[in-house]
Amino acid sequence: MTQPALADDVFRALADPTRRKVLERLAKGPASVSDLAEPFDMKLPSFVQHLAVLERTGLVKSKKTGRVRVFRINPPRLRVAEDWLAEQRRLWEARLDQLDEYLHRLKAKEENP
Amino acid sequence: MTARHTADPKLDLVLERVIDVPRRLVWEAWTRPEHLKEWFCPKPWGVSDCEIDLRPGGIFRTTMRSPEGQEFPNVGCYLEVVPLERLVFTSVLLPGYRPAPAGDLPFTAIVTMEDRGAGTRYVAAALHADEAGRDKHEAMGFHAGWGKALDQLVALAKTLPGA
Repeated sequence: MTQPALADDVFRALADPTRRKVLERLAKGPASVSDLAEPFDMKLPSFVQHLAVLERTGLVKSKKTGRVRVFRINPPRLRVAEDWLAEQRRLWEARLDQLDEYLHRLKAKEENP
Repeated sequence: MTARHTADPKLDLVLERVIDVPRRLVWEAWTRPEHLKEWFCPKPWGVSDCEIDLRPGGIFRTTMRSPEGQEFPNVGCYLEVVPLERLVFTSVLLPGYRPAPAGDLPFTAIVTMEDRGAGTRYVAAALHADEAGRDKHEAMGFHAGWGKALDQLVALAKTLPGA
């Protein structure tokens, strides 16, 4: 099972269509910032923000070669998001664990007001 | 008469719990904002706000708050309210049954409860849209959220070296 916080970050990073398109592009091979930005009608600083989110989450890695920063995808991190239903199950299990715990507190409060 | 739900193991989650707590409390925990706020969102996330109008078509709104304080509102409505027995709500319809714009994760939840001795057995089912539906939303350019339309990307990533 993945770290919940990490899964949250990964899903949040993947929740944005621009970032998903970047990942799709990188799945085909490494690319520079300008190559990646090219299909998007977006100011470069905003676009670089998206890359920063992806890199912070570990979904991509970058390396500066000369004056060009090249990005590549980091497959192990993508696997965090792999089993979508398992993640949903994790969410609901955690939710119901908290419910049961809370119900026990409610019951205790009623019995010993 | 209510149509019964048949789970699709590829899309749906069915979780069953037995707890030594009276059914009345289980029902209240699901249907009162002051209770729901205490448990509905797995920590370290929390529920900062909750609104419940407990009748078919009535609002069910929760605002989830991230550990950093960012807030994510979710609005849906109830479809069925059978006190102490059955609660059905969805993210797919807004209050008054108005169709919702495509959200992060379309789902319908069915919660049923019954006495089990002095305690309660409850079942929570989360029904999700089929994968074709998810892909279609994607193609239409809707914002996607939790887990939506990842399949394609993941399938692609699996073919990569190091996967």
